[in-house]
Amino acid sequence: MLKGQEYTQLFQVTDKVYNGFIETFKDTNPLHTDDLFAKEKSFSGKVMHGNILNGFLSYFIGECLPQKNVIIQTQEIKYNLPVYLNDKLNFYAIVEDVFESVNTVEFKFYFSNENNKKVAKGKIQIGII
Amino acid sequence: MDAEKILKDVNEIFIDVLDNEDIVLTRESSAKDIEEWDSLNHIQLVVAIEKHFKQRFTSSEIQNWKNVGEMCDAIAAKQNQ
Repeated sequence: MLKGQEYTQLFQVTDKVYNGFIETFKDTNPLHTDDLFAKEKSFSGKVMHGNILNGFLSYFIGECLPQKNVIIQTQEIKYNLPVYLNDKLNFYAIVEDVFESVNTVEFKFYFSNENNKKVAKGKIQIGII
Repeated sequence: MDAEKILKDVNEIFIDVLDNEDIVLTRESSAKDIEEWDSLNHIQLVVAIEKHFKQRFTSSEIQNWKNVGEMCDAIAAKQNQ
């Protein structure tokens, strides 16, 4: 992986992803499960769990890079806008830095929705093992 | 940047990365002296040092570091290149 290399991937928060997340992690906070509650808080409907995006990030690192011998070392993510059920998200990542001495690569990334608004952005650092 | 300033900056990086305000490095300090300085944190220390000093090392260069003093000497040598 070289500095400046770019990657894109399309993700969708499907029923299967959403229900699978709740089934696995048991976070049934009404913001995530109750449309009425979410609308009372000024959202358009129930808001998807932010950490669903971290699942997509995991998929990107584990499955979309040209090599499989990778491990996530650090990551940070900032959520800018809500994501709703069935939203399609464009994921973009660019290699921001390469640290050959410790076989480490740092990406900047963002997720944008169908309105081209960035819903989340961050950095992720991986090791080549 | 003189050797004292490099050691001071490296000390601050260690405090930040290892999340231990009590760290006081000397040139003789090594991983044996600092509990949190394990192999995973070593990666984060090197990344932070390379970013801070805007330098890049090779894997063979960092493998030669036996203690903080050799780390600081390597940083100083890069600055003088």
